[in-house]
Amino acid sequence: MSLEPATVAPLLAEFPFEWNYIRSIVRVSLYVSITAVALSTAFSLPVALLVGFREFPGKTLLASIINTGMGFPSVVVGLVVLFTVSNEGPLGSWDLVFTPEAMILSQFVLAAPVITGVSLAAVSSVEQNVRDAAYAMGGTRFDVALVTIKEARYGIATAVLAGFGRAISEVGSVLIVGGNIANADGTSVTRTLTTAIQLEARQGRFRTAMILGAILVALVLLVNALVVRLGNGGGGRYG
Amino acid sequence: MTLDTIDVHHGYGTETVFDGVSLSVRRGEVLAIIGPSGVGKSTLLRLLALFDAPDQGTVRYGGEPVWQIPEWQRLEYRRRIGMVFQEASLFDASVRRNAEYGLRVRQSWPDRIRHELATLVGRTNGTGDAIDALDTVGLREKADQDASSLSGGEAQRVAFARALAYEPDVLLLDEPTSDLDPRNTAVIEDAVLEAKNRGIGVGIATHDMHQAERIADRVAVLLENDVIEIGSPETVFENPADERTRKFIDGELVY
Ligand SMILES: Nc1ncnc2c1ncn2[C@@H]1O[C@H](COP(=O)(O)OP(=O)(O)OP(=O)(O)O)[C@@H](O)[C@H]1O
Ligand SMILES: [Mg+2]
Repeated sequence: MSLEPATVAPLLAEFPFEWNYIRSIVRVSLYVSITAVALSTAFSLPVALLVGFREFPGKTLLASIINTGMGFPSVVVGLVVLFTVSNEGPLGSWDLVFTPEAMILSQFVLAAPVITGVSLAAVSSVEQNVRDAAYAMGGTRFDVALVTIKEARYGIATAVLAGFGRAISEVGSVLIVGGNIANADGTSVTRTLTTAIQLEARQGRFRTAMILGAILVALVLLVNALVVRLGNGGGGRYG
Repeated sequence: MTLDTIDVHHGYGTETVFDGVSLSVRRGEVLAIIGPSGVGKSTLLRLLALFDAPDQGTVRYGGEPVWQIPEWQRLEYRRRIGMVFQEASLFDASVRRNAEYGLRVRQSWPDRIRHELATLVGRTNGTGDAIDALDTVGLREKADQDASSLSGGEAQRVAFARALAYEPDVLLLDEPTSDLDPRNTAVIEDAVLEAKNRGIGVGIATHDMHQAERIADRVAVLLENDVIEIGSPETVFENPADERTRKFIDGELVY
């Protein structure tokens, strides 16, 4: 596409509509993925601490579920979540089919194993000595858990960002449970960056698809840059 | 206030470490625990710090058997005990926050959250007691440094200060100076004596017989799964009642 004024002008005229469209897609994407990652983190940290420091029946099974879950195909997750929220499923009465909340649920299922797995590695590397010190100074078990999370903060942040990376860039599950729906005025209901790119590309609207793709790549790059920075920040323990 | 063990049997798996140990740490005294490597000095300190329940026997604080009460009650006793490990094990935070930790866990949750928020926005209105404790080990001016930037000796001094900051009644030290140079060792020993003069009971495991002679009021000799002898440094080092003590001190008993 050349950038002669003659070709640019009509594109700009078209722009306000397109811009609203893109903005609503970004908003839905961020809402779904950030909420899913927040919920996954709240769920994953206690699980990582339990698996890391407690003995209980079924621990090995749980650990292998986490490992399997980290690489689980997102379409299968979408399928299972769609069934769960469908009329025949256990959450059928909640009316969640083709809603952002259903997408949050499926991204939760996708992100939680990643966040748990990476957090588990992070909290496991906290020295027992340091945990003992917190206990020795009068900390409760809960205080020891807090200290462990603080000591592992860079690794946990990496885990959260990795979970976000998986959530924001997956297409399979949100397409199935969300349905890629937009209103007649062009604002997104359940259309995310990934499902929109898929649709726009298929319909030959490459420019819009490219803009959406650039935004998605920029988000993922930003997240990766943060991970790298945190990785450097976590290096400086006393020794 | 006395912390004591009565006829404690303890071990790991099938391995016996203690076969009926009875010992007490009293207020205002320094009790040195000496014995060869692997005899169980650290294990004994962990029992005294109420970390682990003994397999058999009683551990008491002020006459109260602490393993017969629920955990939340035991916490009250744990909070009167300070423990310093052989490795400094500082938190990855500022020296000040390390020194304050014991005080913070004793605060109410609203106070703790307020304190956390104040720290987040960079207002470090440090608790006086933590700064005083840092003063005791000569590290007041390092309060705002990162703990990770300290030398090994300074880190061990901070570990000592943070156990002192909440004014425990009993202080347990696991070879606190074994990796330190003479100057850092002297700082710690002076601080131990100062703590003792304030009425704190100190239990210190040490490899260093001269250290035991310098600072201890009583010396307990741990050998062959038991405290074989306990008495004043003069008696234990110069005129021991047990032949094994004399051999251990003369270096004839090689373990
Ligand atoms: N967590 C543990 N699991 C199994 N065995 C242990 C454990 N901790 C200590 N032991 C064993 O118990 C015995 C006593 O160990 P402890 O660390 O108390 O000795 P110590 O007197 O402190 O030695 P050192 O002077 O080398 O520090 C040793 O034989 C040790 O191998
Ligand atoms: Mg030891």
